Amino acid sequence: MGNLVQAELRKTTTTGLWWGLLIPTAVLALGWGLATGLLGQFFVDFAASGDVDEVSDFLGVTPDQWKVSLFGMARAINISTIFPMIFGAMAISGELSRRTITTTFLTAPSRVHALLAKMLVYVLWGAIYGLVIMLFLGIGVVATSDSGQLPDAGGWVMLTLVCVLSSILMTMFGVGVGALIPNVAGAIVLLLLYFLVIENVLHGVLAYLEVPAVIGFLPNGSINGLTGSVSVDLFLSSAGVVPTEIEDVLRAIAGAAGAQDWWLSGIVFLGWAGVVFAGGWAVTQSKDIT
Amino acid sequence: MHDGSGLIAVQNLTKQFGPVAAVQNLSFTVSPGSVTGFLGPNGAGKTTTLRMLLGLVKPTAGTATINGRPFHQLGQPGRVVGAVLEAQGFHPARSARNHLRVYASAIGVPDAQADQVIGLVGLSSAADRKVGGFSLGMKQRLALATALLGDPQVLVLDEPANGLDPEGIAWLRTFLQSYARMGRTVLISSHLLAEVEQTVDQVVIISRGQTMFYGPLEQLRQSQQKRVLVQPSDHNALATALRAAGVQAIEQLPDGRLAVSGVDSRQVADTALQAGVSIYGIQEEQVDLERLFFQLTSGQYAGHAPAPNPYQQQQGGWA
Repeated sequence: MGNLVQAELRKTTTTGLWWGLLIPTAVLALGWGLATGLLGQFFVDFAASGDVDEVSDFLGVTPDQWKVSLFGMARAINISTIFPMIFGAMAISGELSRRTITTTFLTAPSRVHALLAKMLVYVLWGAIYGLVIMLFLGIGVVATSDSGQLPDAGGWVMLTLVCVLSSILMTMFGVGVGALIPNVAGAIVLLLLYFLVIENVLHGVLAYLEVPAVIGFLPNGSINGLTGSVSVDLFLSSAGVVPTEIEDVLRAIAGAAGAQDWWLSGIVFLGWAGVVFAGGWAVTQSKDIT
Repeated sequence: MHDGSGLIAVQNLTKQFGPVAAVQNLSFTVSPGSVTGFLGPNGAGKTTTLRMLLGLVKPTAGTATINGRPFHQLGQPGRVVGAVLEAQGFHPARSARNHLRVYASAIGVPDAQADQVIGLVGLSSAADRKVGGFSLGMKQRLALATALLGDPQVLVLDEPANGLDPEGIAWLRTFLQSYARMGRTVLISSHLLAEVEQTVDQVVIISRGQTMFYGPLEQLRQSQQKRVLVQPSDHNALATALRAAGVQAIEQLPDGRLAVSGVDSRQVADTALQAGVSIYGIQEEQVDLERLFFQLTSGQYAGHAPAPNPYQQQQGGWA
């Protein structure tokens, strides 16, 4: 198994795809980080101008101590992890369309071994992407935010943890979809359409039907919940007593409307990734490689 | 684990792709120590058979084993069997050396082995170039290098001469023969008998998914018959005299000559002399292997034993 993991790792490091996708990921995270700081500053200035005292009364702290950066960071992680998901999606679909899968299967004890080794390597890559996202996001936010809006040390650790976790899970989800749909363009287009358009429309419909809790169990809803819930929790822990309506608004801002607790969200998405991977595995296991 | 015999055994192998029977009840064995040619026209089921042997395609019925085991039970297959298949892909952006290193680690052999096989197939100078820029022949050499990584006991090659220049084909021929002489098993497919005639010792000839001939190439050669084309002054007198001498296979050709099978020209001439028939022209004709192969694999004979008389007129058929 160690041999196969090394082989799969070499496959990813001997072509330029890993950095070709890592660069836009880092740029996107940095951009979101900068925007988060600037928007947060604008909002805090606006709130501190005196016209919106009621809100600050609700939150029980003065506006310059609101950790507004948390919301932008949650959103930034959600968007940036699209890239590791695409990276994962090309793991198996790329081998199928380039027909390198033949040699891969000829040199592995079984297809299960080959796919598991691949999954392990992509979990590692998911973690690397997650760390890079957090690094550049952090640089962007710190450069443009006042210290009062930034999370404390524990908050940073927690955010880094969910960012890496979210990136790993998104990569795994991508690997599964890439195995299910043996066509690189098809897999990527479907993933982008689903995560950027289809599920957002679904969220709107579910909210309109007044069953927002369902959102937290959908793939994008649950992965957003993982980061969104953590950022809302961190925000609230430094604020005073917050009425439920305001909390719902805050969750929506963090992109985690209707989401479960962060850990439950993570488990729900892991379930989705598992279902997709199991489907992709079943398809690949019985496929005739002609 | 496998028995290390180097034996390939295909038994009653059948593959149905929807309504199409790609391979039907195919059986043959391939022994170590010789190069076996796996021959048949395009679409005869060669590639499907080899892919079933290598665990890439699941048989509808029957078994295909290497060293007494199906492919997925070989443990570390890369060390037992090496394969060069048609449409075997390479990542265009990966260098030849890196390609080999990827699979060297999958098989569990040191990286030095990658450099060794790349030298063996004559690609050392192109080792660090991206495979996307390789010619078909270079890719074929790289595929062979990949197959050799695990120093396998069994080598399976599907149309390996494709894209190779004459020099490359000559090199491959020598290489495969010496590989087999080391006591290893080599199975090589082709749709042209002439292409492998000088390389192989044994042949398995299939057509429409069924075995047509299976045995030593020498045996196939011996089954070729000679015939004598003769232009006599009196056709009937010569035919009668030949029949009286026990020769039955006499045929009138459209050009006015008689074709006599199973005898040599001397016997025909002697018989003509005794019968008082003049001979204006006489010629011996030998049917070549390629024509025999064509007749074995043409649709006309599908489902039958090898044709006993290769002189029968072709009627349609496909090859």
